Parts: sequence; C-alpha cells; structure tokens
Amino acid sequence: MIGSKILLVDDEKIFADNMAKLLRSRQYKVTAVYDGESAIKELEKENFDVVVLDLKMPGMNGITTLKEIKKMGLFTETLLLTGHGSIDAAVVAIRMGAYDFLNKPCEIDDLVEKIEGAWRKKDDAWKKDLEEKLKRVVESPSDVFKLFD
Amino acid sequence: MDQNSEGKNKTYYSRLFRRFILLTMICSLIPLLLAGWAINKHYSAFAKERILKTLQTRVDYHRKIIELFLKENKNRLDFIARTNSIEFLIKNDRLTHILNSINHDDWTLTDIGIIDEKGDHLSYVGPYDLIDKNYSDTFWFREVMEKGSYTSDMFMGFRKEPHFIMAVTKKEDGRRYILRATINTDSFRSIVENVRIGKTGGIYILNNKGVYQTSPGSDGKIMALASGFEGKTHDDVKFRFLEIFERNVMVKKIVCETWLKDPNWLMVVRVDENELFGEVRRANRATMISLHVSALIILLVTALITGHMVSVIRKRDHEVEDMNRQLMQAGKLASIGELSAGVAHEINNPLAIIMTEHQLLLDAEKRTPISDVSFGKQFAGSLNQIGIQVRRCTHITRNLMKFARRTRSVIETVDINLFLREVIDLMEREAKSEGIKFKSVLDGSLPSILSDPSQLQQVLLNFINNAIDAHEDKGSGIIMISTCLAKDKTGISIIVEDTGKGIKDQDIGKIFDPFFTTKAPGRGTGLGLSICYSIVKQLGGNIQVESEIGKGTRFALTFPFEPPEDFMKNGPV
Repeated sequence: MIGSKILLVDDEKIFADNMAKLLRSRQYKVTAVYDGESAIKELEKENFDVVVLDLKMPGMNGITTLKEIKKMGLFTETLLLTGHGSIDAAVVAIRMGAYDFLNKPCEIDDLVEKIEGAWRKKDDAWKKDLEEKLKRVVESPSDVFKLFD
Repeated sequence: MDQNSEGKNKTYYSRLFRRFILLTMICSLIPLLLAGWAINKHYSAFAKERILKTLQTRVDYHRKIIELFLKENKNRLDFIARTNSIEFLIKNDRLTHILNSINHDDWTLTDIGIIDEKGDHLSYVGPYDLIDKNYSDTFWFREVMEKGSYTSDMFMGFRKEPHFIMAVTKKEDGRRYILRATINTDSFRSIVENVRIGKTGGIYILNNKGVYQTSPGSDGKIMALASGFEGKTHDDVKFRFLEIFERNVMVKKIVCETWLKDPNWLMVVRVDENELFGEVRRANRATMISLHVSALIILLVTALITGHMVSVIRKRDHEVEDMNRQLMQAGKLASIGELSAGVAHEINNPLAIIMTEHQLLLDAEKRTPISDVSFGKQFAGSLNQIGIQVRRCTHITRNLMKFARRTRSVIETVDINLFLREVIDLMEREAKSEGIKFKSVLDGSLPSILSDPSQLQQVLLNFINNAIDAHEDKGSGIIMISTCLAKDKTGISIIVEDTGKGIKDQDIGKIFDPFFTTKAPGRGTGLGLSICYSIVKQLGGNIQVESEIGKGTRFALTFPFEPPEDFMKNGPV
C-alpha cells in the first residue's frame, strides 16, 4: 500500500539503510533503526503499519523486541528477517504473533510482497476493531470518547 | 580397514589365542598331570609293597609247612625207636608193617632200615637191595652217631640217585642202633612245589653250600651247584631283584629267599616281576591313559572355547571399531556442521547487503539513462552477473545451513517400493539424456516403514545423482535399485548399484566427509554424501559402501522399521 509506514530494524546498518532506500523508492514511508531499544522508542513516538525486524541482533534481539511490541498492544504487524539457521526461532516468533518470516538475503520483491500481506492483515484488524468500537458507540453513545483512546 | 592393520590384527588374535591356551595349560593341564602322575606313582609303590608283603607272608608260611613236614617225619622215627625194642623191630614184617602204616595216605618214605653200630643193616624194607651194605664209612653214619639224630642233604649213596635220609639212634642193652629212613623225593618235591605263585613262579631248595636239593626247573639240575650263591643265613624272608636273559629277552625277576632251620636249607622262590606286578601295571596304564585322554579332551575343549571366545572378542572389537569410526564421522560432521553454519551465517549478512546494493543499482539504472551505449550494456551485463552470483552464493549458504540444521521432519508411513518408483520416475528423464538405464528389483513383500519421506527423498536423489555422475566418462550404464529385508530383519535395505567409474581405495574412507568431492570445481560442494550420512544416521539407519575401480559402486542403505525414539520425540538434532 503506497504510503504505508514501515519501521525497519536491523543491526547491519548498511543493509538497513539500503533496504530503507529501496522501500522508499517503492513509495513506502520508512524509518530505519539499528537496535531493538530504538525500535521501541520509535514505536512509542508514532504508529507504524509494519515492523520489519531482524531476529539476530546484539542487545535486545528480535524475539525480545517482538515481545515488547506485543505488550504495547499496537495495531502493527511484524515481519521477521532470519538467517537459515534461525528458522526455529522464526517459528517461535510466529507463534508469538509475528505475521511471517523471510530468509536473509532476500529479494526486494519478496519483501514487498510480505509487507503488503502484513499491511492487509494489520488493516483488517484495525478496521474490525474500529467497527466493534463503533458498534459499542451506537449501543452506548457515552463511550464515544473511548474511540480516541 | 586396510590390509596392513587386518594382518596386524590377525597376529594379535592368534597371539591372544595362544596365550589363552598356554594359560589354560598352566592353570589346569599341568596341575592335573602332575597330580595324576604323583597319585599314580604313589599308588603303584603302595600296591607293589602290598604285593611283596603278601608274597613274603606266603613264602614264610610255605617254609613253615616244609619245616613241619621234615620235623613230623623225624618225630615219627624218634617215636618208633623209643616205643619199640630192636628185637621187635628187626623182625622183617614189623618194619614192613610200620612202613605201610606211615605210607598209608601218602607215600612219604621210600624205605626204612635198622643199622647196628658197625654200620651193617640188621633189617631193611624198601625197593632197593641194600640189606648187605655197610654204612660205617658214610658221612651221614658218622654224623648220626655223633649227634644222635640227623637229616642229610641230597646225596647219591649206594642207590646212585638223588635222595636224602633221616636217622635217629637208639641205645639198648649198652649197644647203639640207628633207625634210618629215606624220604620219598617225589613226595618231598610235591610238598615243596605245592605252592602256586603265578604262572612263571618257580620254587626250589638249596643246601648251605649252594647245591640244589630240588630241581630248579630251567635254571639247573638237582645236586648241581647254584651260581652266585652267597650262603649268608638270615631269619626273615629277603628279596632280591634280578635281571636275566631268558630266550634272548631281558626279564626282571624277583627272588625271595628264606632259610629253613633244620636242616639248614635255603628256600628260593622266583617270580617274574611282570607277572607279579601285572595288575598294578595294568591299573597304572589305564589310569595314565584316562589321565592323558582327559588332558587331551581338556586341551581340545579349551581350544574350541578359546577359539570361540577369540572370535567373539574379534567381532566385538570390530563392532567397537566400527562404532568409533561412526562416532568420529558423526563428530566430524557435527563440528564441521557448526563451523559451516557459523561461516554461512556470517557470509549471509554481507550477501544480504550486496543483494540490496544490487537492487539499488538496478533501480538507479532504470531511473538514469546511460548515454554511452556500450557502457550501458557492460553495466547491465555486470549487474545481471552480480545478481546471478549472489543468488548462487545464497544457494551455497542455504545448503550449508541445511547441513547443520534441517527443517523439522515429519514422520509418516512410507511404502518404500512405491516411494522408490516415484523417485526413479523423477530421475529417469535426466538419466536417459546421459544414456543411463534404470533397473529395479523391488521385494513386494516388504512392510511399510515409519520415516521422513522428504529426508528419504533427499538421500535417495543424492545417491542416484551420484550414480548418474559416476557414468560421466562412460556415456552409458545401468543403475540398479533393489530392496529387501535387512540381514538382521530389523528393517529394510535399499541398494543402489551403478556401473560407473568406482571409488579409489584411498578415497572410500573420506566420501562421507564434508567438502570432500572428486567432481570438477564448481560442480559439487562435497556436502551431498555427508548430509545423506547424517540423515541416515538420524533415521537410525546405516550406509555400507563397496566399490571397484572401473566396475562400479554399491551403496547399501538400511533403515529400521521405526526411527529411534529420540528422533521421534525431538526431530533432527
């Protein structure tokens, strides 16, 4: 979806920057950070549609970061980048609620495809939630303020 | 295992065999034989002593009988002389009556006579014509007149044949008379010889000068002088051991000697030692035979048991060696796996960056027209090649990762024959283009097994690919795939045989090592067989290789009916 906001988290700075450039040239709004802590800070500051998260990072690794993100209860989908050796971890991550994983190195087109999938899922969830909230407002108009929580 | 170490092992096991046998001999045979020999020796000495004792008793007893016989006859004469007057006795029919009475049961006396002090016969009863003989000059006449009673040695006398006499004196009216009787030589002989001491035993009597008093059989004649006579008297029964030639054969004899008291004669008993100790010898021989047969049986049984044990040890050693080799292989795989995974992972990141850079360049190329056409072409071509090579690298790292850690496996029931047919179908097209035919001999009665089909497929494709590659230089060939029940019946065997170039002897131990390949650079990673090896091991199976240069290679894969329990629980490690 053109204009989707993407947060790219990878400790390999050049990779992260290059990916960011490639995605920007494909009309995404991309922010690249290089560790888990910065990713959490960025997520606290603004909303992102999709987080592309490297599994293997120094400090907060992909799994811990994913946990933190899930705790924040945001409408955002996470896509994991893994080496082949960490497929098991990727499976764990999916069980924890990540959208999907992608083997590194990956083709830009594959990444875009997965990002689109993630965005649709996020969008569906967001819409569903909104519908439910609207329903509740219709049922009890006093809850209207909760819409902006 | 190479031939050298096989040879070394052979000498090692035969040395082990010999050492076991030697040990058994030292621990069981030698004590057995020593104890057997000692007991036997002791027993024969004891038995021989007993036999000699018995012989001694019998000889002593026999001497007493002879002494009693002589004494009885002397007492008779004495009794007759004392109880009858000379006048009464010289009546011829009186002496006849007395002689007949004495000889009533046995013919003990040959003749009897009364002689006056001048040596003339007053009366004589007997078979010889001796009535007018004068005995005043004979040795026995002087002896009897001097001693009062006398028993002579054997002598010839007037009758010119060997005999001996007994005589007693009687005083009547101031005159001395002699009552003399001749002991029947046959009767005496029968009493002397009336003792059986074996078949070869002989008995005879010598006087104190060594003259035979009875016939000694083949050794000499009566009245002849015995050779080697010593003449020392003694009270008890004495033994001597002789070795003499008899019919040109050396014979051992036991000579038993005892002295009679009156007259002073020596009774000699001769026995063949072989006969006397025959029983002991036979018992000895039987004991020794059974002893040595037992020893031989022990030796044989020991050899058999030892042979069996050594072969069991050999088999066990072989298994341990095999296991060690497999462990080493597994260890090698594990460490190489770790290393390669590490390397692959490290290379992955730069590759990922190169890939993104490549993509950026591609994007830039689309946006920015290049005015120089030849540079544009070169640039596009290079970009394309970079893309291809990066993908190739990715493929390699992906394989390395797979080697170290494979995707989770799925255990399913697999009909091996059906499965193989699918695999063969898959490969047939490729093989045909290389001029290779497939043959399959599948055992239809095989049960299905529990295994991971995708991993099995990977393994079999790899082996078949290798088999196809092995025909590269030949241009044609046959790949034979067969199935059967495993030898130990705990699983199934898949055999992949090719008619390719074969594997060199020095390479056969390395084919499962990671990165070992004989293919041209760029053609093989050297990971295929080591991946197969680790998969087969994880599925609880085994791989055996036989190969002959120029003729082909035969891989036998065995898989159990079910993979090991830890594999079922945890999947691949």
